[in-house]
Amino acid sequence: MGELVQKVELMGSDLPWLEGLREKGAVFFERQGLPTAKTEAWKYTRPRDLLADDFILPPLEEEKENACTCGEHCTCGHHQREGEDFPLSAYVIDFENGALEHIAHNLPRGVTIKPLIEAIYEDDGIRKYLNKSFDMEKNPFAALNTAYLEQGLFITIEKNMRLDKPLALVHHSFSCHENLMFHLRNVIVLEEGVKAEIVEYYNYSGNEKSRYFTNIVNEIYVGRHAELKHYKFQDEAFKAVHIAYNAVKVKGEGRYNGFCLQRGGNLARNETRLSLTEERAEAEINAAYIMNGWAVIDTTTDVEHLAPYTKSTQLVKGVVGGQAKGVFQGKIHIAPMAIKTEGAQLHKALLLTDEAEIDVKPELEIYNDDVKCSHGAASGELDADQLFYMRSRGIGEEEAKQILVDAYLQDVLEKINNQDIKDWLAAKAKLAK
Amino acid sequence: MTTEQEKPEIADESGDKYKYGFVTDIASDTAPKGLSEDIIRLISQKKGEPDWLLERRLEAFRFWQKLKEPTWAKLSYDKIDYQDLYYYSAPKQKVAPKSLDEVDPELLKTYEKLGIPLKEQEVLSGVVAVDAVFDSVSVATTYRAKLAEKGVIFCPISEAVKEYPELVKKYLGSVVPYTDNFFAALNSAVFTDGSFVYIPKGVRCPMELSTYFRINAQNTGQFERTLIVADEGSYVSYLEGCTAPQRDENQLHAAIVEIVVLKDAEVKYSTVQNWYPGDKDGKGGVYNFVTKRAACRGANSKVSWTQVETGSAITWKYPSCILQGDNSVGEFYSVAITNNRQQADTGTKMIHLGRNTSSKIISKGISAGRSNQTYRGLVKVSPNAANARNYSQCDSLLIGPDCGSHTIPYVENRNKTAKLEHEATTSKISEEQLFYCQQRGIGEEEAVSLIVNGFCKEVMQHLPLEFAIEAAKLINISLEGSVG
Repeated sequence: MGELVQKVELMGSDLPWLEGLREKGAVFFERQGLPTAKTEAWKYTRPRDLLADDFILPPLEEEKENACTCGEHCTCGHHQREGEDFPLSAYVIDFENGALEHIAHNLPRGVTIKPLIEAIYEDDGIRKYLNKSFDMEKNPFAALNTAYLEQGLFITIEKNMRLDKPLALVHHSFSCHENLMFHLRNVIVLEEGVKAEIVEYYNYSGNEKSRYFTNIVNEIYVGRHAELKHYKFQDEAFKAVHIAYNAVKVKGEGRYNGFCLQRGGNLARNETRLSLTEERAEAEINAAYIMNGWAVIDTTTDVEHLAPYTKSTQLVKGVVGGQAKGVFQGKIHIAPMAIKTEGAQLHKALLLTDEAEIDVKPELEIYNDDVKCSHGAASGELDADQLFYMRSRGIGEEEAKQILVDAYLQDVLEKINNQDIKDWLAAKAKLAK
Repeated sequence: MTTEQEKPEIADESGDKYKYGFVTDIASDTAPKGLSEDIIRLISQKKGEPDWLLERRLEAFRFWQKLKEPTWAKLSYDKIDYQDLYYYSAPKQKVAPKSLDEVDPELLKTYEKLGIPLKEQEVLSGVVAVDAVFDSVSVATTYRAKLAEKGVIFCPISEAVKEYPELVKKYLGSVVPYTDNFFAALNSAVFTDGSFVYIPKGVRCPMELSTYFRINAQNTGQFERTLIVADEGSYVSYLEGCTAPQRDENQLHAAIVEIVVLKDAEVKYSTVQNWYPGDKDGKGGVYNFVTKRAACRGANSKVSWTQVETGSAITWKYPSCILQGDNSVGEFYSVAITNNRQQADTGTKMIHLGRNTSSKIISKGISAGRSNQTYRGLVKVSPNAANARNYSQCDSLLIGPDCGSHTIPYVENRNKTAKLEHEATTSKISEEQLFYCQQRGIGEEEAVSLIVNGFCKEVMQHLPLEFAIEAAKLINISLEGSVG
């Protein structure tokens, strides 16, 4: 078994509190170990693949220059990367193989984006937020992420700021080395009245068979009356492991609107744990996944209603082909004092092949009678009549399938308010890459 | 059934509405406390069992010792001390009764109080055959002669072991093996009695069969075992009822029900579970850990579970269907009501293995007071179960601000032709409906019971008539004191 917790020299080792926190993370991870079939929260997604390989951290800065050994005809993507940009107009922050490369220069006043380690050294308010939004004891990967706390961002947006363009966090992986692992932590704080959009984009270049492990933890704080639209497109290499944990806290009358499209990875999980902590906070979590091959894609949500008049809705739709497995675990938790709350959740999945599998666990946990809650789950195959209708009009089978799949995902994609992002993601949500 | 005036004294005292809370003063033959291989040998010997059964019991016991009590259910209760229980308690009688006239009159009185007419001659219509189980043993089975004419076997399982060993040997433990879970292993080791039903090929059972379970003795665990085998093309409707006296300490009930349904056969199993739920503060009450499972082995077989759960301090129960035969059908209709400090974690499993199998789950949960209720279900479609179909609906109604209601359905689909739907809603009683009733002069409590009965109707209509009336009454009684 490859050891995931390794002794490495990280930046900031001269800060005792940071070292202490990392150590705690390592201890909590080792105590829990990798989830097994008996771990209820990971019942259907078993990251046992991680055991098979030895993942290592990317090489240090000075070694990096010489790290690419492919020479002139580079296939790892290191050199092809140049000039390629995020397709939409945005304030772009670039990561390459888990390390921050570049932060947009033209950020509007009121938006501060700092490398995490810099923010930690400056110690200007980050400790109020860092590692404060989740429980390491119940979260092996977040604990592991804490053990490697170094890379990532501290984003703060000042009171009443309205961003004209989204912030785009572009994560690019390429394979100079096999089996790299990246642990990223973003702390995002929206102060009162802020309106902002954040896009996370995970892609790769070069060898599509490259294997790496991305482990992201986002800690997101949405202030009173603030509104965050959080989009994510996960398009990792097909043998990659991608595990993301979003811990979101929304204050009074704040709004969080998340959308995640997952298409890549061999094992991918996007988990959102959201707490509506004050009155009239609202959340919407939508997601879509589309996959072929051997992948396991997991969408897990846990929405906690802690205050009265809070509201949440979730819509998740998936298309599963090949020998892939789609997993949805959703939970709505309503606390005793959270009266007049509304929670709704719907998951639907389409199975395209005989070997495809879908596992669903929608959960309601309600401790109060003054609520309206519902959940629904359905799964089935493409309608044979509809396929026949199109085939009889001269549309090829692949194309007809694609049309039906597009139609199937239409309603969840419609939930995206930003037209550019909607068009971009709609174009990406296709069966064949 | 029993009317309000017959309320026994003990029940009145505590101001509780549990009308079956009386204790029958009857001499009983009880094995020493605790659980060991010797106790199991003693039980087996008392029952005069063959060696193969004793062997199976010991095997199960040895396996059980290695297991840990499951903790995944959303239930909290004090640890059960399995050594502080009596595993065998039988009403004292010198010789086994040959006919009803020989049964202890005290016992007959108890069953009369419970509203079970054991004396055949007193029953005019005579539509139900009853097997009554008192603590650990079956005390009387009625209408056996009439059933025998048709070839239907309906008798205590301890008797079946002796008289029909080949049937029992073949089917006992084939649906719920002792390795299944902690409580199944425990039951397999110490089960004392229960009913055995065999419906021969092509026979439609002429009357409804019924078992009535009662725990009487103190500190006694009741571990009954029911085995129903419906041979090809047969049909049977089976009813089960349960009560226990009111006691301050908790009583343990860990039963197993196994149903085998062969080709073209149909079994309808209805339960009204009304074990003592404990008092207002959660003191006493029955711990009910039951494993119920039906195997639809043949093509076109059908099984239907209907349950009304109003009693028990703790309920842990998941009647399941294994749909092996092609075109087999599984149904689960459930109403569960929890009040005061009751806790229920209940639901079903539908395992689709054959082609064109279908299943339907209708679960209605009502929580009131400070109770907590969980629906936990699994719908699983294996790769070979082409055209499987499932519809699940789980609705919960919450009454009062301190109760909890949880829904945890698992859906695992490995066949693309399967069509699965699941819906769940949770809400409180609509103010509008309440207002509408009250405006028309219906009191609040009555209005609530009216609305609740309407909420459960979909399930109640699947109960046999005799049970439906009792169940509707039970719902009202269970909810008393939950409003206002």
